Amino acid sequence: MAARTAVRPGQLSAWFTTPAILLGLLFTLGPIVVITSFSFMSQPEAGSGVVMEFSLASYQHFLFQEDFYGQMYFDPRYLNAFGLSLWQAVGTTALSVGIGFPVSIWMATKPPKTQNMLVLLVTIPFWTNLLVRTYAWILFFSGDGTANTVLSWFGIEPQQLLYNSWSTLVALVYTFVPFAILPMYSALAGFDFRLAEAAYDLGAKKLDVVRKVLWPAVSGGVLSAVALCFVPAFGSYIQPVLLGGGKVLMVGNLIADQYGSARNWPFGAALSVIILVLTLVGAWALLAWAKRSAQTVSLAV
Amino acid sequence: MNKIPARLRLNHFPGVGPIGVFCLIFLYFPMAIVVAYSFNGGNQALAWQGFSLRWYDRVFHDAAIISATRMSLEIAAIATVASVVLAVLYVLSMDRLNRAGNAVSGAILAAPIVVPEVVLGVATLSFIRMIGMTPGFWPMVLAHTCFCFPFAMMNIRARYQSLNPAYFESAADLGATGSAVTWRITLPLLTPGIVSGALLAFVVSMDDYMISTFLASAGTTTLPIYIFGLIRKGVNPSVNVVATLLLLMAIAVTVATSFLSRRQQGKPA
Repeated sequence: MAARTAVRPGQLSAWFTTPAILLGLLFTLGPIVVITSFSFMSQPEAGSGVVMEFSLASYQHFLFQEDFYGQMYFDPRYLNAFGLSLWQAVGTTALSVGIGFPVSIWMATKPPKTQNMLVLLVTIPFWTNLLVRTYAWILFFSGDGTANTVLSWFGIEPQQLLYNSWSTLVALVYTFVPFAILPMYSALAGFDFRLAEAAYDLGAKKLDVVRKVLWPAVSGGVLSAVALCFVPAFGSYIQPVLLGGGKVLMVGNLIADQYGSARNWPFGAALSVIILVLTLVGAWALLAWAKRSAQTVSLAV
Repeated sequence: MNKIPARLRLNHFPGVGPIGVFCLIFLYFPMAIVVAYSFNGGNQALAWQGFSLRWYDRVFHDAAIISATRMSLEIAAIATVASVVLAVLYVLSMDRLNRAGNAVSGAILAAPIVVPEVVLGVATLSFIRMIGMTPGFWPMVLAHTCFCFPFAMMNIRARYQSLNPAYFESAADLGATGSAVTWRITLPLLTPGIVSGALLAFVVSMDDYMISTFLASAGTTTLPIYIFGLIRKGVNPSVNVVATLLLLMAIAVTVATSFLSRRQQGKPA
C-alpha cells in the first residue's frame, strides 16, 4: 500500500469507492466465503452441488478412504497430488529464479535504452495468452515437432516427449520466467551502484559488497519473484492438463475434476480451502518478513 | 566507477550475457515456430508444404472461431469499460477512506491476483449457484470485471500518484469547483494511465480460460474455451493461426502501454 497522500482538490468523496468495494465483496470475498462453507457441507446423493448439512467428510476424504467394511484407512492418493504440485512448484520457482537472476543482472547493467527494449521483450510473453504459450510447447515436443527433428539429426528415433511431468515443468518454467525476471530487475534497476563504490573505498571485498550491500537492496525483489512463481505454479491447471495429458495430477486439475466429472463439490471446495489457507499463510509470512526488514515485496507484477 | 578494477566491479558479472541471450531465445523460439507454421500450406500442422495464407482464410471463415471471438470481445469490452470506470472512481476517492478501510478494501480488490485461478473459478461458480444465478454471459462479465479491476487500478493509481499536486491546487486557487477540477484537470491528466489500464484489462479478459470455463454455458463459449478444446486434441493448423493473431495482440498492447508509461515518465507532471 502506498502512503496516504494529502487530500487534493478534485478528489471524490469516500462514497465513490462503494461500487468497486461492492463488486469486490460480491465477486471476490463472496465466492471465498461460499466455498469455505461448501467445504463443510455434504455431497448430494446424485448430481452436483451441495446439501446443507454440516460435515467434515471432505477434509477426511483428503487423507482417508472408507473400505468395504466401513473401516477408515489412510489413502495417500490426494496427498500425492499435493506432493507433485509442491515438487513442480519448487522446480519451477528454482529454475525460473535461477535463470531470471543472472538475466535481471544482465538487463540492469545495460544502457537505459537497451534496458527499456529488454523489459519490453520480457513483458511481451507475460501478456501473451497462456494457451498460446502452452500450445507452442505442444508443437515443439509433439511427434514430428522440432525437438524430435533435432534428435533425428543425431540419429535418435522419435521419442514421446509430451504428456509427462518433464514437459509440464518446461511449460511452467516458460510461463513463470518473466514473473521472476521483472521484480528482480526492478529491484536491481533501482540499485545505486555508487554505494558499491563507496564500500570498495572503505576497503570491502567483492563478496562482502555482494552480500552486505547488493543483497539487502535486491532481496525484496528476489522474494517477490519466488512468491510470484510459486503460488500460481502450485495451483496451475492448463500446463499439467495440456502437457501432462491427464497423467500429471496436480492440485489444480484435482479441484477442477471435483467440479466437473467427479461431481464432488464439497471435496473440491475443501481442496480449494486448503490451498487458499496455504497461499494466505505464505503471503502473510512474506509481508511480515518484508515489514520487519523494511523491504518492498510485491505480490503483483 | 573507473578506478575499480574489472574483477571488482559490481556491474561486471561474467556469464550473465550468454544466459540473458539464451533466455530470450528460450522465450521467443517456441512462439516463432508457431508463427512460422501458421503460414504453412499443408493440411497438417507440422508438415511444411510451402508458404500460404490458406489457414488464415480458413480461420477468418470458420463460424465457430468467429462466434467464440465475438463472445470474447463482447465480454472483454464490457468488463474493460466497467473495471476502468470503477477503478477511476476508486483511485479518486480511496485517499478519503480511513486507514483501515483503505487497507481492507485494497486487500479484497487485489485478491484476484493472489488467489490461484482455479480456486477463484470454482469459488465463483459455487457463489453464483448459491445466489440462484445460472452460469452464462452476465456472471462471466461480472467475474471478468472483478479480476480485470486490479490491473486497471494499478495503472491508473500509478499515474495519479505521479501527478504534481500543484495542478489541482492552482486550479482550486483560481476558483475552479471540485467537480470542475475533476473533469477538466484530473481526468485529462489521468488519460495515459486510463488507456494503459484499459488495454491491460482487455488483454487479461481476452486471455482468461480458467475462470470462464466454470462460468460458461453452452451459448457463451469464449475464444480461449474454444481453442482449449482444439489444443486438447493435439496440434492443429487453425490453432497456429489463432495463436499468431493473439501473439500480435499481446505485442501491440505491450508496446502501446510501454510507450504510454515512458511518455508519462518523461513529462514533468
